[in-house]
This record gives sequence, structure tokens and C-alpha cells, in this order.
Amino acid sequence: MKIEGTQEISADRERVYSALIDPAVLQRCIPGCEKLEATGENTYSARLRAGVGSIKGIFNGAVKLEDMQPPSRYRMIVDGKGQPGFLKGSGEIALDEKNGATLITFSGDVQVGGTIAGVGQRMIQGAAKMMATQFFTAIEAEAKARPDEPPPTHGFFRTALRWFSGFIRRSVAR
Amino acid sequence: MAEKYVGQRVKRTEDPRLIQGLGHYVDDIKLADMLHVAFLRSMYAHARITSIDTSEALHAPGVVAVYTGQDVSSKIGQVPCGAALPDLKVPDHRVLATDKVYFVGHPIAAVVATDRYAARDAIDLIIVDYEELPAVIDVEGAASNSTVIHEHFGDNIAYKLTAGEGDIEAALASADHVVKQRLVHQRLAPIAMEPRGVLARYLPGEKELTLWSSTQIPHLMRTQVAIMLGIPENKLRVIAPEVGGGFGSKLNVYAEEALLGWIAMQLARPVKWIETRRENIQATIHGRGQVGYIEIGCKNDGTITGLRYNVFADMGAYHQLLTPAIPTLTGLMLSGCYKIPAIQMNTTAVFTNKMATDAYRGAGRPEATHVIERAMDMVAAKLKMDPVEVRRRNFPTPEEFPFKTATGLFYDSGNYVGALDKALEMADYSKLRKDQAAARKDGKIIGVGVSTYVEICAIGPSAATPAGGWESATVRVEPTGKVTVLTGASPHGQGQETSFAQIAADALGVDLNDIAVVHGDTAIVQYGIGTFGSRATAVGGTALVLALEELTKKATRFAAHLLEAEPESLQFEDGKFSTDGKSVSIQEVALAAHLARNIPADMDPGLSATRFFEPKNFTFPFGTHIVVSEIDRDTGDVKLTKYVAVDDCGKVINPMLVEGQIHGGIVQSIGQALYEELVYDDQGQLVTGTLMDYAVPKAAMIPWLELDRTETPSPVNPLGVKGVGEAGTIGATPAIVNSIVDALSPFGITHLDMPLRPELLWKIVNNAG
Repeated sequence: MKIEGTQEISADRERVYSALIDPAVLQRCIPGCEKLEATGENTYSARLRAGVGSIKGIFNGAVKLEDMQPPSRYRMIVDGKGQPGFLKGSGEIALDEKNGATLITFSGDVQVGGTIAGVGQRMIQGAAKMMATQFFTAIEAEAKARPDEPPPTHGFFRTALRWFSGFIRRSVAR
Repeated sequence: MAEKYVGQRVKRTEDPRLIQGLGHYVDDIKLADMLHVAFLRSMYAHARITSIDTSEALHAPGVVAVYTGQDVSSKIGQVPCGAALPDLKVPDHRVLATDKVYFVGHPIAAVVATDRYAARDAIDLIIVDYEELPAVIDVEGAASNSTVIHEHFGDNIAYKLTAGEGDIEAALASADHVVKQRLVHQRLAPIAMEPRGVLARYLPGEKELTLWSSTQIPHLMRTQVAIMLGIPENKLRVIAPEVGGGFGSKLNVYAEEALLGWIAMQLARPVKWIETRRENIQATIHGRGQVGYIEIGCKNDGTITGLRYNVFADMGAYHQLLTPAIPTLTGLMLSGCYKIPAIQMNTTAVFTNKMATDAYRGAGRPEATHVIERAMDMVAAKLKMDPVEVRRRNFPTPEEFPFKTATGLFYDSGNYVGALDKALEMADYSKLRKDQAAARKDGKIIGVGVSTYVEICAIGPSAATPAGGWESATVRVEPTGKVTVLTGASPHGQGQETSFAQIAADALGVDLNDIAVVHGDTAIVQYGIGTFGSRATAVGGTALVLALEELTKKATRFAAHLLEAEPESLQFEDGKFSTDGKSVSIQEVALAAHLARNIPADMDPGLSATRFFEPKNFTFPFGTHIVVSEIDRDTGDVKLTKYVAVDDCGKVINPMLVEGQIHGGIVQSIGQALYEELVYDDQGQLVTGTLMDYAVPKAAMIPWLELDRTETPSPVNPLGVKGVGEAGTIGATPAIVNSIVDALSPFGITHLDMPLRPELLWKIVNNAG
């Protein structure tokens, strides 16, 4: 199944790029990520608590980054397995400068199996979109944080609040 | 015999307990010290299992045992396939996967725990490493797929079969027109209201194993499970308690049934497994699953010259009990109710990485009827004839019965024109056509569909069935005069507790409430075959009639002895034997026979009789269904605005039960025609795995059904009954599809494959490709 979308982040492209490939930042920003450790150059093992609707569980898997062209694009390959099923996929992430902000375009192909395919397939795209929004809102906060500050926290409500204030700001700017 | 009950709308004696929630299904039976089983099932369609780690699950709270394929493969025999065909490939079918998994839902491990939640939770702690393999999903491509599911077979072909008679090449060459069409019979899930369930208890001292299972075939299961477990058949008792629907899905012997028995023997504690709905959709047999190509030849006057059907039949990954036999039933019924001189069916049955297909209500005959009834409409469209007229031209007359088909059958009796004319009259067909023409001018999208079907029932002569085609019945008049009927058939919703009591009450002149019909327990009931193939009344009911005759003969002799008269001089009426002003009731006779103080010297005490019946032929019920459908231009939604069905199932014991069967069958047909489809994606993931995605029709989707009957008795059995369990699912589907294709004919549509969802119809109507 195809997962794609765009997200505008009001932060400098280099900062956004380095946040997107920093395992510590990623662990903080990926919703439900309990662990993300480097296992080699640009490869990581991850532990993720995720689900769709009532189908929830822990996924263990590997993440690999390829074709890295800082600060404009890279490719991500994911392979994970857990009690609710498995997911495999790869996608392109492109970063473009836009009026001082960064426009992220992502497109990927994901294959799911097990219960999550039998029960949740129709809801996955919606759930993925929601997770992406949470993720990028968190990344935006990371990219805007000053280096001497402690890293921001990204609980669900904090992220929702950030997303909401960003939405108001963008609406007013229009 | 005076018919006081037979033919009457007697209310089902089963219903008071069922509608009050007082019935006992497998899950209602609770035994002391009972443990619960849950299954880990494959999330891959096709993969090698590289390792299984159960250590964490074993230490989870409440877990008593965990079993994998390695633990049980050498202990439990193969899941049986009862079908025999030339050069049939039968894969190894173990109760749990060992080295490979073959479909999503394939059982890998069983967890036994003190409650079902603990068992379910521990499933998540089993770690399985898989090496994923490419999945074979496409039915037409499976034969040539480079991925071979069962590697030692060399390819994915389960069998190839050519059937039929007549020179098909010459028949098609002699036709004025040959109409060709590809046609899909989508996979369906039977969705019995009660999923499968098994409770097993082993008594180590007595060495007795008892299985309570939601099954249609308790005796056949006893034989097969005894073989699988290597235990004496006389130490295994199978009980089918209340069974909440089967539709063929419980005409089977499943891995779980043998496995639960084995676990109970290992642990010497009762173990229960109740299937979840997700498991039910994944791992209980599926129905249909054929992709075929029709070629039908016709003359300009509408006469059919020949029919060829080349079909790919989807077996799934394994054979269940009758998997390979289902397409052969399609081949038998391709002639429909028409005189077709030459018929040929070429079957390529293939393995795919999906759950096995098997008998689902109709079992191969809905496919045949859909083929021939769609084909007749396509011929009518080609010749610009009325579809009713094309059918009429090809019917055999009632005088031509028994009617021989080019598929090798002899139809027992029939009056196809009679049922058709009655249905046309009820529907006011010529007015429907006028109304349709007028409505079309108003921009409405309305269609009229007709199907004239015939099907094969009362299965059947033993020579034509895998495990005996007979049925048995015992009748006992107890010392108190109450009557016990034991039937080897295993009704599970059809209502034979009522209809068999009607037959016995009339034969013995006793009150209906004095009769108990007992079934479904191998320790109580003599061996029987089971309820499937619309056979329970035609075969089991006939065995009952024979037993009642024999019992009446015995009772007459006892009565003559008591009355000091000759048996020939006795009248038997309303439960009383009488002669010369003296009389004795059958209840008094039964008591005297049991007390045995005054009985003929050459007779055994007691009053009972057991008889068996094996039909010499199948029976062939038939009928006409007429449907009017209207398609909403804005939403593509279909409304069935009129539904008329005239069915002929021979003589009728209880019209209300017959109507109930027709209602249910039509509803399941509406499901197939409009809503239901099991969808596997390219990787073999079942994406319609719940009732959110697999659309079973709801009450609001069902039109008012106008039913009537014609009655052409079958000469095959003395009751004259034919069977009605599957007629609805066989006759209705093509009538519905024909009506929608007819509605869309102004859009250039000549055929559509099911299910006819709003999305598909909307695109046609709104020209969106």
C-alpha cells in the first residue's frame, strides 16, 4: 500500500535533516518508539509500540537509511515484526527549502501482514497519516530547539498542542 | 397412515429452548478442571519456519502446556481427505505446521492454559522465525507459477479432469452462434452463526475419549479421529450438541478436533477450544473459488447445441474432507434444466496459499447453475430473444423423465414449465417488462432476472459417495408408551426434530409431544452419515419411514396375540389396533411387549425397529426465481424490488420448514451476488478478515420474498421428498445477477462478475470506467 504526503516545517533545512537522521531525536519523535539503537552505519534496531484501532502491540525491527544526500533527500527501509503482524516497506524522503521553511515530501510502499492486515488494513493509511503528523510536529520542535536547551518532550498532548498552535499560526498567516 | 401432522405448518419443537437461550452449544458445556486452548496461527501465506521458541510462553501465568508441530506430528495422523479422483495429489496435512506454513491462519502451536485469556495472551510470547517465500495467489496463474507450494509435486496442479458426454467440437461447430464468457465465482466464507468449537475429555481409567464438537457428521468424525489418534473407535464418543449452523463448513474433520482429543489424553484433563470469528474466517473452509470460461453454442431459434466449461478451481493449500470433489459436482449439474446434447468440463484444480475450499451450501452446484443460467441469458441477448423463451425452448417435457443429461445423470422427475409458468404468473412477468420499458423512459435503471434451476440432492447412492450414502433410523416405543426416534442424520438447524416427529406421530397415531427425536451422539445413536447435501429428510426420513413400517408390523403381531386374533384381521388407526369390537392401543402393546408375559413365542420382547435406507438415485429439486432490481443512479446501490420464487422439492413434510430453508438460502445468495467476497492480496494476506470487511447481508438488505411451490414427487424414495436445504443458494444467485445485467444492458453490459457492489455499478452508470 502506498503511503505518501507532505509536511511543512518552519525550521532550517539543515537542522531538519540532521534531526531526521539522529537516532536520539528519532527515538523521541517517533510515536510509540521505545528504543532506537545504531547497529551499524545508518542501520538501527528499533522497538515500537504501535497499532491500529484495537490491534496493538510491540514491533521489533530494523531501520536502514540509504542514498543519503544531505540535506535534500534519503531513502528509508523498514522491516518489523510483532504480535499483531509484520510490516515491511521503503520510502523516499525529500527536503526542499520553501521561504525559509522546509517542505518534506515522503512517499513509500508498505506491506503489512498478519492480524493487522486482516483487521486493520482499511484503517492503516489513516493511522499512518496521524502518526506522520505527530512525528513531524515533534521533529519541528526538535529542529527549532536551541542547541544549549534540553531537548523538547513529545507526549501525545504536547504534540497535539504544538500541532494545533502551528495550525492556528499557519491559518492566520494565510 | 392418516396424515394429521405431515404436510402441516407445525411449529419447530426446537425453537422454545433456542429462543430462550436454553440450548446447549459446545461453549455452554463446562466441565470441572477444564483447560482452554488457543492457537498461534501463521501471519504469512507461505514461509519456512526456521525456529520456534515457546520457552517464554510456557512460563506465562496459567499456562499448562505448549505444543508445536514437532511435538505432535509423529503422534497424530493426517487430516483426512475423503475424495478420490484419478491422479489426485494429496499433500501431507499435519495438524500443526512443521517446517513450512502454507496459508495465513495455518495453526503452528497450541497453548493450553487455565483460562482462555491466559491461553490467548501466551500466544503472543511464542517467537517464530520465518523465512518468507513468494505466495501463490492467482488461481489462473497457479498452474504455471514457478513457486511450487508442495515442492515434491513439481507443480501446483492438484488434478486435471475432463468430464461430460457428446461430441463437443461438432456441437459447437454446428451452432449458429457460440457465446463465450469468462466468469468468476468468488471465494466465500460460510459464516455459521456459531463458530467451530471442541471440548475433549479423557477418562484414563476407562480409556474413553469424548469429543463434543460443533459438527454436521459425528459418526464420520468418530471414525476419522479414532484413526488419526490411533485409538479404538469403540473408545471414542463424539457428541454434536446444539450446532449453530454449518452450511457445509462443519461437514469436515479439522486438525483442531483431533488435536484437542490428543491434548486431553496427554493432560488427562478436559480441554476446550472455541473458535474466534477471525479464526473462523481465516481457517474454517471457504466456499466457491472458481474461474471459468464458458462456450455455449446455439441455433438461431434458441436451441442449445453444446456447452464447454474450462475451469480453474482453487483448492487452497490443502485438501480438507471433500475439497477436490466439489468441482466435480459442478460438472454434474452443468446441463441445468435443459436438453444439451454435448457438454464438456475441463477442470484444472490448483493449490494456492489460501485456506482450503470445500462444501459451502450448494457445494459446486451454485457454480454450475450460475454458469448455465448466465449462459442462457447471454444466448438470449445474442439472439435478441426473451430469456424466458430461450429457457422454455430447451426444457425437457414432464413426459421425458427420468431425463438423461450429457453429464451422465438421470433426473428423477420434474415439471420445469409448471414451476416457470407459476412464477411468471405470480410476478406478472409481461407487466414487469412493460413497466420496465416505461421506467427506462423515465431514466430509471431497472432489470428483470430469471433463473430456472435444477439441483442434485439426497446424497446419495453409496457408489457415488465417499463414505456411504445411506442413512439409518431406530424407532422405540418405551414401556410408558413414549416414542424415541434415533436418526443417524445430524440436523443442526434444519428442524428435523420437528419434521421427523411429524412423520412418526402420523405413522403410529400418537401425539407429537410424545415423540423425542434424538441425534448427534455416537454413544446413543446407531451409525449414520450426517446432514449435508440436502439429504437428511430424503434419506434419513426414508430410513425412519421404513423403521416405522417394521415397528408397526411387529406391533400388529403383538396386538393380534393380545386380542387373540389373526394379524391380518387387525385395523390400525389413531394409535389403536382393533378387530371385532376389541381394541388395544399401541402404548398398551408396547408395555405388554416389554413385560413379555404374553407375547408370541417367536418374538423378542420390547418394541423397536432399526432400518437403513440407501437411495438408488439422487433427487433433483428445481424451480424458478424471478427478481426485479433497481439501481440507484447516484449511489450505485441495488434495491431488489421484487422477489418471486417457486420451488419444487417434491412432497413437503412441513411447509414452514421448507420456507425457512428457502429464505435462508436466498439470503446467502443475495450475499454472494451483491456483497460477499474473501479477498487475499498479492502476498496472500486475507484483507477481509472480520465482519467489518466481509459483508454478510443484514435484514434491511433483504426484500420481501414471495414464495410458492409446485409439488412433483420424487420416485426415488417412498416419501416422495427431494430436499430443499441448498435450493435457495443455487437458484437465487443467477436470478439476481441476471436482473442487474438486464438493468444495465442499455449501458452495453452483457456480463458482470460478483459481488455487484455499488462501486462497480456506479462506475458503469456514471461511465467512470
